[in-house]
Order: sequence, then C-alpha cells, then structure tokens
Amino acid sequence: MTVRAAVVLAAGEGTRLRPLTRNRPKPMLPAADRPILEHVFDALIGAGIERLHVVVGYKRDRVQDHFGPTYRNIPVNYVSQDKQLGSGHALLQARDAVSQEDGFLVVNGDQVIERQMVADVLDAFEEDDGNATLAVTEQADVSHYGAVVMDGDRVVELVEKPDTDEYRLLNAGVYAFDPSIFDAIEATPRVQGELALTDTLVRLIEGVDAEDGDAAETGRAAPGDATVRGVVTEELWEDATYPWDLLDVSRDLLLHGRVTEPEREESVWVADSATVHDDATLQGPVVVGPDTEVRPGAVVGPYAALGRNATVGANAVVSRSVLDTDARVGPNSTLLDCVTGQGVALGADTTVPGGPGDVRVGDTVFEDQRLGAVLADRVRAEGDVSVAPGTLVAPSATLHTGVTVSENINERAEVFR
Amino acid sequence: MCGIIGYAGQSGDTLDVLLDGLEGLEYRGYDSAGVALSNGDLSVCKREGELYHLQEAVDGGLDGPVGIGHTRWSTHGPPSDQNAHPHTDCSGDVAVVHNGIIENYDDLKADLADRGHEFDSDTDTEVVPHLIEERLAEGATFEEAFRSAVGRLDGSYALAAVSEDSEALLATRRDSPLVVGVGDEAAYLASDVPAFLDYTDRVVYLEDGEFARLESGSWTVSDAEGKLLEKSVSRVEWDAEETAKSGYDHYMLKEIHEQPRALRKCLRGRVDELTGSVEVEALEGLNPGSVQFVACGTSYHAALFGAQALREAGVHAQAFLASEYAIAPPPIPDDALVVGITQSGETADTLSALREAQRRGVRTLAMTNVVGSTAARECDRALFIRAGPEIGVAASKTFSSQVVAANLLASSLARRGDAREVVQALRDLPGQVQELLDSSRAEQVAERFLDAEGYFFIGRDYNHPVSMEAALKMKEITYKHAEGFAAGELKHGPLALVTEKTPVFAIVTGNDETATKTVGNVKEVEARDAPVVAVTDGASEVERYADEVLEIPETHPRVAPVLANVQLQLVAYHAANKLGRSIDKPRNLAKSVTVE
Repeated sequence: MTVRAAVVLAAGEGTRLRPLTRNRPKPMLPAADRPILEHVFDALIGAGIERLHVVVGYKRDRVQDHFGPTYRNIPVNYVSQDKQLGSGHALLQARDAVSQEDGFLVVNGDQVIERQMVADVLDAFEEDDGNATLAVTEQADVSHYGAVVMDGDRVVELVEKPDTDEYRLLNAGVYAFDPSIFDAIEATPRVQGELALTDTLVRLIEGVDAEDGDAAETGRAAPGDATVRGVVTEELWEDATYPWDLLDVSRDLLLHGRVTEPEREESVWVADSATVHDDATLQGPVVVGPDTEVRPGAVVGPYAALGRNATVGANAVVSRSVLDTDARVGPNSTLLDCVTGQGVALGADTTVPGGPGDVRVGDTVFEDQRLGAVLADRVRAEGDVSVAPGTLVAPSATLHTGVTVSENINERAEVFR
Repeated sequence: MCGIIGYAGQSGDTLDVLLDGLEGLEYRGYDSAGVALSNGDLSVCKREGELYHLQEAVDGGLDGPVGIGHTRWSTHGPPSDQNAHPHTDCSGDVAVVHNGIIENYDDLKADLADRGHEFDSDTDTEVVPHLIEERLAEGATFEEAFRSAVGRLDGSYALAAVSEDSEALLATRRDSPLVVGVGDEAAYLASDVPAFLDYTDRVVYLEDGEFARLESGSWTVSDAEGKLLEKSVSRVEWDAEETAKSGYDHYMLKEIHEQPRALRKCLRGRVDELTGSVEVEALEGLNPGSVQFVACGTSYHAALFGAQALREAGVHAQAFLASEYAIAPPPIPDDALVVGITQSGETADTLSALREAQRRGVRTLAMTNVVGSTAARECDRALFIRAGPEIGVAASKTFSSQVVAANLLASSLARRGDAREVVQALRDLPGQVQELLDSSRAEQVAERFLDAEGYFFIGRDYNHPVSMEAALKMKEITYKHAEGFAAGELKHGPLALVTEKTPVFAIVTGNDETATKTVGNVKEVEARDAPVVAVTDGASEVERYADEVLEIPETHPRVAPVLANVQLQLVAYHAANKLGRSIDKPRNLAKSVTVE
C-alpha cells in the first residue's frame, strides 16, 4: 500500500492565541517567514503526498485565499466543517473525500511538522498492514497535549492534558489510518457535544470494538491488545499554545534554518524582492520576507522574522520578534520580544522594551512571560508610544501620540494620553 | 504551472477529449497549449495564447485513436510556439509532453547535438523525443525506446509520449503527479482529475517509477523492469470542480478574495519606497508626448482612470472605446503612445484599434494579463498586470490589477508630482483590501436593496470610473438595470429616474472640494427619497446623509478607487447570488470577446 492522500485539520480558531486569531485561524499565524500551515503542506508534499484535503471552518477564506486551488502543483480540496465540534468531527467531514483510499494521513494544520516525521509514520503504517499509527515526540512539557506511553512500538496509554509531570512523550498530531477510522469515530460517545479524535484513539488503544458500545475500564491495556502503533521521532516539532509561544516557534525554526528565502550569509535569509539598505544591519539568525524594506541604520535580529511587504524605518531596532505581513515600523522604534499581526503601523519612536511581563489571557494571568507585546492586526501607534511588557493590543486599536499602554487593550479602542 | 492530458480510445473522440481536458485544466491558466494525435501519422498543433487559438488552429482537423495535450502558464518570460509542448524529434515521428524539470538536460542535449540532432526549442523537454528517436532507429520498439530514454533522465517529471508507429500512449512519472482515468471504451491520462472528470470518475493513481500504457481503450501499468502490476481502481468522490474554485461557491468570489495576493504580484519589484520611485522594465525609456488608451468594457474603465492619472501628472491623455477608435480614429501625434488595455490580450476591438495605431507608425503598449497573448506579441511593449488566471466572466481582480498597473504607468511617465506618496499607498493597498474583505458589510447592503428597480452609482474624478465599473458589474451578473455616471451629471437628466425604489451608491473619498460637491449631489438624491449607500473612507460628512455605509480604509486618492470598487464588487456578487444568477457565466456574455 502506498499512501498518497492526507487530511489536514485546519478548522479551529486557536482561542488561546487571541487576539491574533481575530481574522484568521491558528494555522495561518506566522512561523518564521510563512504560515504554520505552509510548513505542514511542505512536510506532506515532501513525504510524497499528492492529494490534499483540508478541513476548513473558522475564517476559512484565509486558508483558501492563501493556497488557492493548487499548492506546489498539487490539487487542494477544501472540506467544510461548519461547526467546530472537535477533531474527530472535523475528520468525519472528509469521509467522502478519502473513503476510496486504502490509507491516508491525518495531521493537525496548526503545528509545525517535518517531512521525515511524516515519512516515518507512512513507513510504519505501510509495513504494519495499515494499523492506526501516530507520531510521538519527546518534549519537556506535555501538560497541554496528549501524553503517550509506549510499550515497544505500541501505544498503550494516551492521556489528554495530564496533570502530573511523569510523562515525556506526546502525541504529535500526525496519524495514518485506514477508512475504518470513520466507523470508530462515529461509535465514540460525544463529550459535551464534541468528538475528539483522541477519544477514539483511546478506545482503539483500550481495545474497544467499534460495534461494542461501552468503553472498557480506563487504564493500561495489555500490550498484546493494543492496536495503535507509535513512531517516536526526534524531528523538529513546534506548537504555539499562547501568543508568546510564537516567538519560540520562530526562534527554533530560525535556529534550524527552516526558512525558504535564500541565505545571503550564515543564518541571514533575505528574499530576492526585499530591499535592505547598505547601512542597515542584519544580525542572524534573521529572515527578511518578500517586498520588505529595511532602511538605513536599522538593526534587525537576532531571532527576528520579518514577513512580507514590511518596512523597518531608519535606526529602528527589531530583535527576538515576529513581524507579520505589511507591518510598518517607524524610525527610531525599538521592538523586543514582540509579535505583530498583519498591517500593524507603528509611528516613530515606538518602544516595546521586551519581557518578562505578566500576561492576562482570559481570566488567567501568566506571570513573568518573556513577551514584549502582542500587537494584533492593524493596530496603529501614532508615535512616541511605549508598550509595557506583556501587553496584548487587540485588532484596529489606535494608540495616540505619547501614550504608555499596559495589560489588555480592546479591539478598536482609542488610547489617548 | 502546467497540465497534461492524454487519451486512447475512439478515433472520432480524441481531439474533443483533449481539448475538453485542456479546458478542465483551465483554472491552472494558459499561455500556450498544444496537442499531438497519432493515426499511423503524427500530427502536432500548438499555439501561444489562450486555448481558443489552438481550437481555431486545429478546427477539428486532427484525427487518430490516441493523443496527448499540454497547457502551460508562465509568469516570467514570453512563451513561444517553439517552446510550447508537445515536442517532437528530428523526424517528427515522436511527440512528448512533460511537467517538471529534467536536471541533466544540458549534458543530454550536448551529446545529442554531437550526434547530429537538431533542436527547435530552449526547453529541457525536447531531449526526450530525440532520445526515443535514437533507440527507435536502432530497432527498439516504441516502449523499449521510451523506457530507455526515461532511464537516462535525472530530475522530476510526468511524461507522456505518442509515436507515429504505434497506437499506444506511454507515460511515466517521478515526483510529479499523473493519474489514469478508466472509461468504458477509452482510457485517459492527466496530471489532475478535473481534466477528464466529464468522462469518468474512475481513476488509477500512478506511483513514482511506474509506467502506464494506454491503447485502444485499455490500460496497463508496469514497474521499471516491465513487470505488470495489479493496480486498484478508485472512484473520485470529491468534487473536482469545487477544488478549482478553492472551496468558494463561485470563481468570482474566489477571484475577489484573491485580490490582495494578485496586487502584491502586480507590484513585486516595481516600486521602491526607499527612493519613492516606480521602476517598471517594460516602461523604461518611454517619454511620449501624449497617451491614448484604447479598451472595452471593464478595461475601458481602467483606461478612464489611467487617463485621468496621467493628466494630473501633466501628460496629455485620453481614453477611447476601442470599437469606436478602430472605426473613427482621432488624430494621433507621432510622439504619442497608444496603450491597449485587455485582460486576455485577445479582445478583437482592442486589437484592431492597436493595429490602426501601428499602421500610423505610432508606438504601442499592451497592458494585459496573458503573457504570449496577441496584444502582448504585436505591441512594441507589454506591461503585464500579473493577476493570475481569471475564470469568472465578470472581471474582478483584473480590474484592480489594471488600476494598479495604470498607477505605475502614470507615475512612471509623470512630468510633475511626487511618486513617493503613491508608492507608499500602493504598498499599503494589498493589506487594506484584506482589511476590507475581513470586515465588509456588502452582503447586508445587497440584501436590503435586493428588490430595487434599478441601481445608480455616482462619483467624481478618480471615483467616476469606479461608478461606471460598479454599474457594469451589477448589470452583468444581476441582470438588473444599473447606471454609473459622474456625480455632477445627476441633475442634467438622470435625476428624473431617481425614486425611493432606486438606491444610489455614492463614492466619496477624502474631504476636499470634490468630496463636498459629491455630498451636495447626495443631498439632492436624498430629497427625492432615494436610499443612499455611501462608499467612503469617513473623511467627509457623507455618512450623515446615507442609509447605509460601506467603509473603506483611508488612503491616497489615486489608490482609493480600488478599495471602493472591491466593496461594490461584493455588493454585485451578493445581490446576484441571492437572486440565484449564473454568476460565473452570465447569459449572453463571453470571457474574452474575440469578434468585433
């Protein structure tokens, strides 16, 4: 069996990344110089996938507009998930699209994966007669993910968001299935109306038959019964749970050179269509996207990713930051540990001095995070604006001349001195 | 992007299947296309430009039970008849189509040339038919020769070949997709399922290193050593046409949403904000005494805009309807530049106007979307708008790209004024279009005025062409009466038609004297109880007199028309959609009008 089809789950918003997800889903947020989902597509195509089915939902037009009908000459089929009722439900929407395949991949569209990881899962799946297979990666903190316990090459336990720190392996969100997975999903009881793919996997691991209603007692399955194979991979795997994680994701991608622009000198990647003034300094690792301009005296990097069509003004400093498409940074500005959305316009002398700071996400305060600021889509700062560490500014807010802002600023807010 | 189609079946059907297949790959775009059919005798036909060139050239004249076809869309460099596929060998007995890159073609080509082979094109593909030819000359069968040739290639490829001496179509692939379609009495081959979906939904996916042989309606697949393989036939359950529309209900909505990307492409490498200058290779060294635009339909509205922008920059400029210009041309000064704006580069009226100018020895420039189109080839210069393929009959993204290209032309030829502000505004434009798409209320506005008796659109200066374009869009896809005119003309007649059943869309940007005057016109309309929809950046007080507001981001007056027009594209689209119209193929209309 050769697997050539993949279902990519890209319908969810990623609410913990608000306000950056106001206008697009998490898979379209920047990871170094391009959206997370582009890394995923590249990994899949690199591993030989030729039929891409993408489940889209929240702000689906952003995914469709970016990739269009074909990506790297491979047709992209968009499948709609109108209500986001979990990853299992999302996969069910693609049932017709892949029901004729002997086997297919399923991957999360909102985590950066690598070609080799996909290839390893495919190899294991093909040699294991099409038993459900998933990629497993070792990470220091698995508390936000599905923790995995292996016995040989079998997964014997899958625990969502464990509250103990005894686990080191997590489910990387790269699976290979045959079409029987759909019956297994449909047989899985919904939890609060939602169908999580991992609930179905737990049932498979514990040997619950699709036809056979009740789940067995939760616990460790005997190794012989386990039908889910795990492939431990040491490849790069990157996920952002909170906005500041995007800084780490880009940093790691830059460190590993996972950038598509041409490398001008060691760890300095500059798009052909970008303009960098001779008197500007690029400190690697750094990437400068297409059509972007860096003006005289500016210092960009290390660990800076400038997206498409951005401008860094004269004598500005941008370091440890991710600036998305169309960002405008005024002269003499300083941005450290800063994540911007699209079309952010910052006037002269804007100062984001950098983390650590306390960040409030929903009702939770995360203390001492290394985050200068999140400036969401189309935030405008007129000039001489200072932003305290950990500030989240929602889309289209205007920060008028001379203000100092901190904590959370609402969408379309106007902040005066 | 390229596409391959192949067929082995019934003699009478071959050409139709190939041409339909090329049409099915249309969403990938064209700048050249070609077919080869074998009937004991090999006939090849290929043409630059849109598919209809090829259709006209073959005119049903090719026949044979087996054939291959190919399309190509390039964004850089002109295509030519020579570089179009299929490619043939010295004798013209073998024809090959190819997707991908043959990395060692330099060496192969040099060796072949040493042995006396002659090449017509610059392509890597052309080595393949010559390699096949050599083995055939040594007495190998077509299949042996094909396998031997493929064995010498490095790189990525999907390849298909036919030969004069065989009724078989041979194909193979490495790192480039290829699909076999299984029919009742025919077999198909394509790089993508939509190419033959009208004929069959049963497919066999080829793997790297596998060879397919299609012959008189049957097919076999074998491995690199020639061993026959058991391949499973699967049915395509997903809607391949939906794929071409990227998940949208209509091409038009897809194309409206593609505008940020299309505009970025149009601007790439052409503006430098650091120096505040416009640098367009196609326009280098041009310094005409005056400019005459010729165009039809939507392109004419872009021409009106371009003429206005040039006049403001101190260059004498006029816009003409191409159909009138060709019949009754105005005086053309020797130092004039005649600019033909045509999306397809094939619009017959525009071509005759351009030819009239050329007859008089005047320089011509084509502003077009299609590299290798007739206009691009015949004019002295060509400025490509780089919008990518547009399938919806009603132009949307290409108008935006035309207006941006007209801005580049105006700034490049300007005698006065500073390009810096325009350049800055152009760089901000794609993001602002995205902002508008993220937040537009156009659907609610369309819903509210769905049962209107007619629609009026008014604007002054740069917004005047937008009012005309918006009305044209409304007519084309909703089939309702719509009219656009300069706001000042309202009281010279059309006001008599304005009632509470005819919403008036007023495009008002900035807050200068022009805006104030348009607001005055809005008050006249309001006094007649007509509903007013303001399309505005909020700078003037027009919102006070409006029943609905469609907001656009603030920007330079030369760029604002693009934004206002996107709002009105969306209004027309949503109105037509709610009325259940055939949006992508409106009645009585064709995409490019190739007859006068």
